[in-house]
Amino acid sequence: MDKYAVKIEGLTKVYKDFWRRKKIPALTNLSLNIERGEIFGLLGPNGSGKTTTIKLLLGLLFPTSGKSWLLGCPSSDLKIKSKIGFLPEETYLYKFLNAEEILDFYGKLFDIQRKERKSRIDRLIRDVGLEPYRKRPLSQYSKGMLRRIGLAQAIINDPDLVILDEPTSGLDPIGSREIKDLILEFKRQGKTVLLCTHLLADVQNVCDRIAILDKGVLQVIGSVKELLSQKDVIEFLVRNLSEDDVQAVESFIKNRDGDVLSIGHPSSTLEDIFINIIRKN
Amino acid sequence: MVIFIIAHHTFREAIRKKILYVLMGLGILIIIAAPFFPTIDEPDARVKMMLVVFFQVVMLLCVVGVILLSATSLPYEIEDRTIYGVLSKPVSRLKIVIGKIIGFALLSALIIVILSLLNVAYIKQIASGLPESCRGVLKARDEFKALRFYIQGKSHHTSEGIVWIKGGRDGVAFWSFSDLCKTPNNKTSFEVEFDLKVESGRGFVGSIPVVVGIEDAFQGLGKTEVLSLMVDEPLTLKIDPEVVQKSGSVNITVFPIHEADYIGVTQKDVRLFSVQKGFIYNYAKAIVITFLKFLLIVIIAVMGSTYLSAPVSIAAAFVVFLCGHILDFIKDFSLLIHRYDVPGHALPTVLRKPSILLIYVDYIIKKPLEWFSVIMPDFKRFDTLKFLLKGINIPLETIGAVFAYTTIYAGICIFISSIIFKKREFL
Repeated sequence: MDKYAVKIEGLTKVYKDFWRRKKIPALTNLSLNIERGEIFGLLGPNGSGKTTTIKLLLGLLFPTSGKSWLLGCPSSDLKIKSKIGFLPEETYLYKFLNAEEILDFYGKLFDIQRKERKSRIDRLIRDVGLEPYRKRPLSQYSKGMLRRIGLAQAIINDPDLVILDEPTSGLDPIGSREIKDLILEFKRQGKTVLLCTHLLADVQNVCDRIAILDKGVLQVIGSVKELLSQKDVIEFLVRNLSEDDVQAVESFIKNRDGDVLSIGHPSSTLEDIFINIIRKN
Repeated sequence: MVIFIIAHHTFREAIRKKILYVLMGLGILIIIAAPFFPTIDEPDARVKMMLVVFFQVVMLLCVVGVILLSATSLPYEIEDRTIYGVLSKPVSRLKIVIGKIIGFALLSALIIVILSLLNVAYIKQIASGLPESCRGVLKARDEFKALRFYIQGKSHHTSEGIVWIKGGRDGVAFWSFSDLCKTPNNKTSFEVEFDLKVESGRGFVGSIPVVVGIEDAFQGLGKTEVLSLMVDEPLTLKIDPEVVQKSGSVNITVFPIHEADYIGVTQKDVRLFSVQKGFIYNYAKAIVITFLKFLLIVIIAVMGSTYLSAPVSIAAAFVVFLCGHILDFIKDFSLLIHRYDVPGHALPTVLRKPSILLIYVDYIIKKPLEWFSVIMPDFKRFDTLKFLLKGINIPLETIGAVFAYTTIYAGICIFISSIIFKKREFL
């Protein structure tokens, strides 16, 4: 079994104009590897080449040059798609179907047996919190509900590699948190996740490693901890310390030639406060 | 398996669209209204009108619906990106295209079956009120052409290929038919249709008496009777099956009784039919051919939609559909220009000297038009109405030929579609 879930070598995509002349380079010589069981974040501003990379991996676009492998097989191999789950940037689903029908349709495409398919559909609809709306046509779903059912279809085949393009887009903070929890659950199950987003908060909490793209060029790649850590700065988080003790600690540090950058009360994130209030209600 | 999943999905999507029900509702209304359309005063004209309206108006309406659905399905999926969901699954692009085609073929079959059942039930109901002699349109007859034709005695004169015979046994028109009982069948009955020209020196008469003899060619079994031949109206006679079944060959003779009467005859004027199966069977064959036509239209529409946007794809499908019905005109288009060169033509405009420009245009477009007419599907092959209106059995060879043509054309279209769609990128 190949060590890497995703392996990309020199992937380049140049879009052609009407006269088939090469015009806009969307991705230039991208090389990266994603290990199995890893949560990998692909970051970058709009138009940086994130979605192009995913489309190239899924065969929706053809590379101008370079190669890619998914789970040890060339990404052009049709069979490998049975082990991949994909959630597109927007939830592009057949609006004339209801939740049950859409999952059944995708389940059939993966050739999942009827009984197994039915049990997975029931479980997934329950997991994404759409049980009361399972018979409602998707045309009547809100953006957040569509995102949830989109995620359910992405994992109907119990994939080894999950590719999520902007998974939290359109979701409220609770939905967003649930998705992040789900991504962590994937990791616990040993699945590999390729997370593509420009919302940095999504990445920081869940990703093991990240790559940053800009104008189709890989700018940086590494583990989140490595990239975020400031090795010359130390942070203490202490509870139940009196004002005198704080001053004593500060003067102790100064006596040892240390620079005290800030002393104060750490603030919670707005997301945490929002979730606490909503969950209490 | 995947193909049928896509087909089922396509079918389900199509039947949930309102346009289908609007067009089908309109089709049903037209079928119901068809017998009340103004027509000529013949007893079976209403039935013929129902057939014409169904095959030319209602089916056209259905073609419009099927084109609108099949030419837009893929482009809309590409436009709203629902195709991503399918393409990211282990499904080949060829299977998507074939699945779409099968889905719309199923839809076409459903529409055709529902509307044709309604139409045929209505036709049966209307026809039940017709006198027996006027139910020729509800038959499915195999036609036999006369192998021999000659005049016993002398003819009066011949004009424009028509042999005229004077009454009073001066001359007798003789037609001979053979091989009538290749597949003897108890259910088979025979009838003969006379479509003779009638003149009389007795002034204006609506009909003249003629002697008609129908007998077994070898043993002379049969009968001779005096019948009244109407002016401008074919006469149909049933033949005793025993006369035919003995030897499979029949001789038919006709001559007018009165010396002042004349009949004009040609070899084609007497036709012998074996009536084997009923109208329903023939109608079903017509429906099968109509379905093959729909299938071809669906394949062409889906082929266009693998590359074109929805509106362009619809337009392209309609252009192909139209061109497929006027191939003869397209082929002859350059000949129309050539006719300007025909000397001695009666029309003054034609006597003009040929225009250099026209000759040049003709030279330029002749080959492309020929190629164009070869590439376009020939929908005239699928015309079954002419058989039904004449009550003639649609030969199985015709169905076979149409099936083979559809298969070959469809195969080429699917091959082209698969190549186009395989190379397509989804931005």
